[in-house]
Amino acid sequence: MVQAKADVLQGTLDLMVLKTLESMGPLHGYGIARRIEQVSDNRMSLNQGTIYPALLRLQQRGWIQAEWGMSDTNRRAKFYSLTRAGRKQMAEETENWERISETMARFLAPSN
Amino acid sequence: MDLRTLMSRCLGFVLGKRMDSDLDDELRSHVDFAVEENLGRGMPEAEARREALRAFGGVSQTREEFRMQRGLPFVEVLAQDVRYALRQLRKSPGFAITVVVTLALGIGANTAIFTLVQGILLRSLPVNDPGKLYRIGDKDDCCYYDSFENDNGDFDLFSYDLYQHFRQAAPEFEQLAAVEAGGSGYSLRYGTIPSKSLKSEYVSGNYFAMLGIAPSAGRLLVDSDDTLGAPPALVLNYATWQGEFGGDPNIVGATVYVNTKAFTVAGIAPPGFYGDRVVSRPPEMWLPFSSEAVLDGEGNAAVRQDDTLWIYSLGRLRPGVSADALQAKLSVVLRQWLRSREAFTKNGGTAVIPKQHVVLARAGGGIQKLQQQTGKGLRLLMILSSVVLLIACANIANLLLARGTARRAEVAVRMALGAARKRLIRQILTESVLLSLLGGVAGLGVSYGLSQMILALAFPQAKNMPVHASPAWPVLGFAFLVSLITGVLFGTAPAWLSSHAQPAEALRGVNRATADRSSLPQKTLVVLQVALSVVLLAGAFLMTRSLNNLEHQNFGFSTANRYIAGIDPKSVGYTVDRLPELYRQIESRFSRLPGMTHVSMVRYTPLGGNNWGSCVVQQGHPAPAATDDCFSSWDRVSKQFLDSIGVPIVRGRNFSDQDTATSQTVVIVSQAFAKRFFPGQDPIGKHFGMDKPQYSGAFEIAGVCADFKMTNPRENAQPVFFRLMGQQFLGYKDAERAGGEEASMYANFILLDFSVAPKDAEALTRKTLAAIDPSLSMFQFNSYDTEVAGNFNQDRLIARLTSLFGLLALVLASVGLYGVMSYFVARRTSEIGIRMALGAARFDVVAMVLRGALWQIAIGLAIGVPAALFTGRLMASLLYGVGAYDPMAFLGAAAVLAGCATVAGLIPARRAASIEPMLALRRE
Repeated sequence: MVQAKADVLQGTLDLMVLKTLESMGPLHGYGIARRIEQVSDNRMSLNQGTIYPALLRLQQRGWIQAEWGMSDTNRRAKFYSLTRAGRKQMAEETENWERISETMARFLAPSN
Repeated sequence: MDLRTLMSRCLGFVLGKRMDSDLDDELRSHVDFAVEENLGRGMPEAEARREALRAFGGVSQTREEFRMQRGLPFVEVLAQDVRYALRQLRKSPGFAITVVVTLALGIGANTAIFTLVQGILLRSLPVNDPGKLYRIGDKDDCCYYDSFENDNGDFDLFSYDLYQHFRQAAPEFEQLAAVEAGGSGYSLRYGTIPSKSLKSEYVSGNYFAMLGIAPSAGRLLVDSDDTLGAPPALVLNYATWQGEFGGDPNIVGATVYVNTKAFTVAGIAPPGFYGDRVVSRPPEMWLPFSSEAVLDGEGNAAVRQDDTLWIYSLGRLRPGVSADALQAKLSVVLRQWLRSREAFTKNGGTAVIPKQHVVLARAGGGIQKLQQQTGKGLRLLMILSSVVLLIACANIANLLLARGTARRAEVAVRMALGAARKRLIRQILTESVLLSLLGGVAGLGVSYGLSQMILALAFPQAKNMPVHASPAWPVLGFAFLVSLITGVLFGTAPAWLSSHAQPAEALRGVNRATADRSSLPQKTLVVLQVALSVVLLAGAFLMTRSLNNLEHQNFGFSTANRYIAGIDPKSVGYTVDRLPELYRQIESRFSRLPGMTHVSMVRYTPLGGNNWGSCVVQQGHPAPAATDDCFSSWDRVSKQFLDSIGVPIVRGRNFSDQDTATSQTVVIVSQAFAKRFFPGQDPIGKHFGMDKPQYSGAFEIAGVCADFKMTNPRENAQPVFFRLMGQQFLGYKDAERAGGEEASMYANFILLDFSVAPKDAEALTRKTLAAIDPSLSMFQFNSYDTEVAGNFNQDRLIARLTSLFGLLALVLASVGLYGVMSYFVARRTSEIGIRMALGAARFDVVAMVLRGALWQIAIGLAIGVPAALFTGRLMASLLYGVGAYDPMAFLGAAAVLAGCATVAGLIPARRAASIEPMLALRRE
């Protein structure tokens, strides 16, 4: 049970990261974490640290790539960006996720 | 895990530390961003940092999670376990060395046997796509037949004519080649180099094309070399070219003289090519069949005799051909051919033709001759060596158990501190696998030495043998696998046991014990060892007794102080008319040597590994039916032959000077011959001949000699008759028999019977021979004892190896028992002390300890003896003169084992008895 829950969360987090990079362009870890917090309206209380294993995982799969660079505030940071494979994966995952949530929504609709 | 992730993880594993520090930089920058933002919101510096860290969550958790994910945690943990295990082993080098040596012996023995199994039984010919090679025939009949071959109708030896029929009838073969079943030797002279005696094999012209190999120099034989009247050509073995002719490139295309006939060296076979079968001395040159008539003379050439069966046939199958259908088709061809041959239809032969057939056998490994001869012995040795390894495993498992008990406190503490059981088991298994791999590496050394010894023992006459002691890749793989399995095998019980220790219990009673339950597995292992050792020892006893019976049986003739010199007068151009003078010279010159009692010449020496046989037809009898057993060996000998091997005449007379080339051809027959062919009659003066009634008046029996073993030392003496060297029977009407008769006039061996063996017999013989004819070289010189002993190479090998394995097992089992009993005494020191303080006599203590040991031995014997009886039955066909249930062997094995094991138990028992009660109690 615990394992299954973690998997769902992991997948969700991955998708959030991919989506963030798609809409924001190259971004560092802190930026990604903050963006997720903001978009989810702080409803999702995320330990910011958990983003790093997720970033490593996405890198290992070849969906994102990383490069050290300078931020607007002139601070050294590692910037992540989406790869072509990541973009494709992103599209697939989105479609997947929408189908599931739509199904779940229909399933949980009060008329049932 | 997908491939891509795996690859980046591998990269991460390599980069390791670098990625960690990269992450640290990144995390630092993350926190700095957060602090900056918080400061921007107006928080004081300290709070800004605190808040940043709170939002981040656990830094070290993140790091740990990252580390588990970046590389290969399994490998990292393994590396950690290996380091830990190595540390443990360094702490107790005595233990480590004992285990590694034990394993080296066990794994080495197995690997050595596997080296042979791989080299002989499992390998493929080094040719193109050996999987498509098939042989017509699956037996190892050899070398010349002229009748039906096997009682069940299985045919595997063909005539050249029959081979041509197969070739025409079976387009299913891409190429169908033929090779000589036996093999000859010819002397080859090249330039000014002294002539070399080389082993040869006749092959069809398409032989090399069928195998799909390329020459290393010049060209290989082709069909046009194997046609009537083609200029004689030959192909040299690469190793022979290198070894005998120093790799001289000029020999390619040069003219050489084979038995004085001119041949062209067409080319050199590729390196590593050893022909169509694994033998201890592969052919050194390949000659086309057509050249047989050049070398052996048209009249005597088997290739011209359509009924002489002396050829194996193998070929490359076209893709998609059904082997079953082809086999049926070829059997039909065989039967059609047999029906067309008078030699097979006469005397009721037609009746047995319907059951004649061939078997199409896979030949990717070549012609399975050596395989059929050694397969049984090798399989037995495989079983025995794995039993040795099992015993070694039991021994080590026992040592580990003892060690595990000693380390119980450590394990208990670690478990109490929260170490996972899984991890503990994994650690102990890592340690045992590490040990077994170390043992495996050391075992490769043992294996190399042992397989070299085995090869030398089994194939003393080997030359360029394609089986080597140095391990090939499959052997290395085997050793690795065996080591791994061994490690898991002996590590499992100790790992399971020590990880199931209850921490609290273990901590409470750390070093004190009475007869505790935990010693049960140890005792079981000892029982197992005793049982397995009995099996090996009984096997060793059986094989040794069998060998002894074989070697020291009464062969019926004497070998002491006798020597055999091999000569080949034909190869240096002697014609039949010049032979009598040569023989006269040999007899007179050699008999003048000091200490010489008798000199004789023979075509084949008794138990020399070769013989000639024919169908005997008594005068006045009809031709024997196809199913009649009319076979008798025969030999061409000089006058003093029977005297020179100490065989008495029991009836009639021996050969004498009155028997000459022009007088009546006389023979001396053995008692077994007289009994078989002239039962209840006086054979003296009777006539018989060979093969056909028309020749049945050829020989007159002059005498009967005592029986002796001519060909097979395992059988009773078989019928044999002897013809005088100079008496040629000139009455043969057909060229084939006349040719054979002429060939039999050539002596191959000089038999020297000394009253006292001279020290330099070989040099003396060489000198005497050179004085007669300097060109007449000696291709072989051996004492007759050595020659006869050559019959038992395989038996000797198996007997020595089983003895070696038995001894190893005995030592291991004794050490195992000793170890367990010592450990038992050490653990119970205080208990024994108390018993003695309370008045137990030393004798009682010895008895108590010994009783424990004896029980284990007794149970081991109770299991082992029936198992040994079963093994004995499996070995029955290898035994000579010993029953598979030979009581001596089993009682002997049980007694030796019980004796050694009792001594092994007695030492710790005496140590227990010498315990000083006060000292023992004070130790608490």
